[in-house]
Amino acid sequence: MPIATSSDERNVVVKVVDLHKSFGKLEVLRGISLDVHQGDVLTLLGASGSGKTTLLRCINYLEQPTSGEIYIDGRPMGFRIDTNGERSNSSQKDINSLRMEIGMVFQQFNLWPHMTALENIIEAPQRVRKLPRAEVEGFAVELLEKVELLDKKDQYPARLSGGQQQRVAIARALAMQPKVMLFDEPTSSLDPELIGEVLGVMRSLAEEGTTMIVVTHEVGFAREVADRVVLLHNGLVEEEGSPKDVIENPKSERSKQFFSSILH
Amino acid sequence: MLDQFTSMVAGFSLFWEYKAVMLPGLWYNFLVFFLVVVFGIVLGLAFSTIRLSTNIVLRAIGTFYTGLFRNAPEYVTLVWFFYVPALLLTKLLGANVTFEPLVVAVMALSLSSGAFYTEIFRAGILSVPKGHVEAARGMGMSRTLTLRRIILPQAVRQMLPEFFNECVSVFKGTTLVSLVMVPDLVYGVNLVSSYTGQALPLYTGIALIYFAIVFAMTTIAEKLSNPWRDKGN
Repeated sequence: MPIATSSDERNVVVKVVDLHKSFGKLEVLRGISLDVHQGDVLTLLGASGSGKTTLLRCINYLEQPTSGEIYIDGRPMGFRIDTNGERSNSSQKDINSLRMEIGMVFQQFNLWPHMTALENIIEAPQRVRKLPRAEVEGFAVELLEKVELLDKKDQYPARLSGGQQQRVAIARALAMQPKVMLFDEPTSSLDPELIGEVLGVMRSLAEEGTTMIVVTHEVGFAREVADRVVLLHNGLVEEEGSPKDVIENPKSERSKQFFSSILH
Repeated sequence: MLDQFTSMVAGFSLFWEYKAVMLPGLWYNFLVFFLVVVFGIVLGLAFSTIRLSTNIVLRAIGTFYTGLFRNAPEYVTLVWFFYVPALLLTKLLGANVTFEPLVVAVMALSLSSGAFYTEIFRAGILSVPKGHVEAARGMGMSRTLTLRRIILPQAVRQMLPEFFNECVSVFKGTTLVSLVMVPDLVYGVNLVSSYTGQALPLYTGIALIYFAIVFAMTTIAEKLSNPWRDKGN
């Protein structure tokens, strides 16, 4: 399993530098830096309120960071530096074009209810990437096969179970052929018996070398699938390293407490 | 009893006898209905955008508009617009100012129904979960594309029944225009009734006519909105 180190020569797909985010007086992120290399699966763990979801939402600019920098495949997200070295907000168009490189899977699936499974998947590739319909549809069918839902392609989301909806949502995000996939607690609103099918799809994506950042409470998934685990506490990185190091031999007292509270 | 009934049925022929007044009258109802729905929708689109804006001043203007016109009885709005501006202008300018009744009636009823359309459109837009918008924006869809492809199709579905309800109530409201001298069907019936003294068949007849029209409208509205509503469920 590849462990990212500073000497890692693989492409840095997501780079976060000293990220801060406040909501009014509440400082949710207090200076986070991390690199995610191509093919890495990074799992973000932490108690609720630790800032995991906010960090994820800053990466695709659904939340605007208060300060700090985010680079997607080397391109700054949400800001630009002009020739005088002055920083300014980037245009909505630039943000949109970078967002095309980032797939996101939400806790609440967020499939569009007025479109069938297939229509959900082809919407953005067809209208944002402007690819020909036949090509997009062919790829969508492949993706539905991958998530084992080809037979449901003409169903509306309301007719699908939570696990099926989440698998369609994963296919929808993959259809844009993003450079990185963000998962925001993808199994947290599923019934226990449906969690396995979604984790299974995520596991196979990881094995294919998809770059992924996963916010989850599934420590088992983190241990088995992640290359790297980052534990957040109060908006800061508390602990970082291989799953073995972080989950099984946490250094700080706080991490030990966190793992003992969720494992027992 | 039977005699009264037959005489009432016979009285219905008055509608035919005075069709020169009745038919144009009904035409006025439909004309006012059409204009008020069109202007009401335009006002509703404009003010729902204003009500949903991030600008606090604009929002306040929108809230003031809907608050004022939704809470004023249409009758009062109509009469106010018919008498007050003309009176004020007459006093100010010292000349006798009057407005075309049809124009005033359409304006007053449009402002009134516009306030209801505003709230219907706004509620429709707000009914779309934030997450659906985030899913679209997060994939790089622009604001307008998201509005067109994700928000509006869902919002329109959501608002259709309320929208048709408001259209029906606009039609019912068109009967008020007789109060400001617009010669609609009610106006015609009033006229014929005072001329012939046959109030019973005339007012019963007009009740039946409006019932038939509104019933037809409601049925059509349901037929139109049901297949839409069902999609995706």
